[in-house]
Amino acid sequence: MPLSKNKKTILVIEDERPLAHAIQTKLEQHDFIVITARTVNQGLDYLENVKVIDAIWLDHYLPGEKTGLDFVAELKSSGSKWKDLPIFIVSNTASSGNVKSYLRLGVSKYCVKAEHRLDQIVIDLQDFLNTTE
Amino acid sequence: MKQPVNISTSEDIAYKLKVLAQEKENVRRKLVVTARQLAVTAREKESARRKLVITASKLKKLYETLEKKVFDRTKDLAQLRSRSEAILASVGDGLVVVNKEGRINYINKSFEEMLGWKAKEVLGKSMVQVVPREDIHGTKVSFKERILTQVLSGEKFVADLTNPFYYIRKDTSRFPTSSIVAPVTLDGKIVGAVEVFRDITKEKEIDKAKTEFVSLASHQLRTPLSTVNWYSEMLLSGDAGKVTSTQKKYLEEIYRGNQRMVELVNTLLDVSRIELGTLVVESKPTNIIKLIESVIDEQKPQILEKMIAFTSSFQKTIPLMKADQKLLRMVVQNILSNAIKYTPDKGKVNISLTLDETKTILLKISDSGYGIPKNQQHKIFTKLFRADNVIGKDTEGTGLGLYIAKSIVEQGGGKIWFTSDENKGSTFYVTLPLVKKKKDGYRRSFLAPLT
Repeated sequence: MPLSKNKKTILVIEDERPLAHAIQTKLEQHDFIVITARTVNQGLDYLENVKVIDAIWLDHYLPGEKTGLDFVAELKSSGSKWKDLPIFIVSNTASSGNVKSYLRLGVSKYCVKAEHRLDQIVIDLQDFLNTTE
Repeated sequence: MKQPVNISTSEDIAYKLKVLAQEKENVRRKLVVTARQLAVTAREKESARRKLVITASKLKKLYETLEKKVFDRTKDLAQLRSRSEAILASVGDGLVVVNKEGRINYINKSFEEMLGWKAKEVLGKSMVQVVPREDIHGTKVSFKERILTQVLSGEKFVADLTNPFYYIRKDTSRFPTSSIVAPVTLDGKIVGAVEVFRDITKEKEIDKAKTEFVSLASHQLRTPLSTVNWYSEMLLSGDAGKVTSTQKKYLEEIYRGNQRMVELVNTLLDVSRIELGTLVVESKPTNIIKLIESVIDEQKPQILEKMIAFTSSFQKTIPLMKADQKLLRMVVQNILSNAIKYTPDKGKVNISLTLDETKTILLKISDSGYGIPKNQQHKIFTKLFRADNVIGKDTEGTGLGLYIAKSIVEQGGGKIWFTSDENKGSTFYVTLPLVKKKKDGYRRSFLAPLT
């Protein structure tokens, strides 16, 4: 296994390149291993093949037909092997309806990009993973 | 003395004859006089007859003229009437004329087309009953609250253009309406009213499209704003190498400016949510005093910085209420931050909360600040409006805060108003009814009493 045992791996699904780059940089600074995907299907593909993913950082609107909501619905469906994987939604399209749907599906956290500091979201994720360990 | 018996002499006879002749002469004279009198009377009669003939002909002439005048006038009136009817019929707005009891005297073609009623079905019936009116929440407007009723009872001319409402058609479908009612007066007394109304479906659609556009644009703006935010944040924390103190200062300006833009976009999103009605209301048991205290805490840095003498008083008996905390917070936060922002250093700001017998909470926030100029007070709740006297003093206002506060308070069934004197200060009042009325429970759902 090339991936280090101590480091946690985060799958970041974000289509805006500058944002994805910033997220990756910040997460790596905090000792995470980062895999980035731009679409729901790419994300599902990585999940299936990389296997050691510890948490998911997910945007809502993504290119292609599926949104973050479809992705979460698939992961949380009965019989899914990723049912217990923590998911952080980091999006700017925070319609109350969407937020509710995400929380009902069982995501760990929902935050609005424009209203949070990047390092704060990373620290929240870190804390979350440490307490659930 | 004894009369002589045999006096019948010729002298006597002559005397008697003389007397007789005299009498005869007298009678003749009388006859002559009478005859003359008769002649005069006859002349007079003749003249009277002639006069009568003349009068009769004059009368005949007058009659003929009058007849013609009446004919002409009737023709004029008929023309006028058909012209008025043509005008009323061609008017695109619905029009109804009612008598002083509110019964329908006249409706135009647009009324028939818009509401589905034929004139013969509704003439003589009560307008308020024939055409029910609903507010935006689908609540029926009561007879007393109908503007038509108010106009007929002499409560002034009303143009109801700001509060949209719906008229219900014969087939019970509805459409948004805007209407104007004017009283019809005769010798200073109200004898009826005219109502003109318009279907504003199109306007509402355009307005909605505009709000949706603002909402969409605001969402789109958030992505590049996040990029600026996160990258300046990373530069500031030295992720890309050490920055000099001047670079740090500049980066902080970029970061702050961007933060302001984020806030503005968020406020615009709030406005569009309020206008589109997509604001999700989550009512939770709320301690309003605690909520206000936390808003005050948030404002503490500004209060301290401006050395403002801040006082507060809360009535202890205010119960928990069911309210949407985010919305209630926005109301308090907007008014309080204004009070602090628009009060000069070392000024006074007071906040108080009381509960009256009618179970209405009164929030009062007063300041000793710049005040609102009299001639601009009527605009203060208008979207994006900012008074002249503060534009130069403070650059951070958006002109959206009070608009948002008013929208929230009114949707919750409360009221908001103020008193203000320029350079003396302003006092804002907000009432929040705790009693939920059955009739329009929907509107007060976020400020309901906790049962």
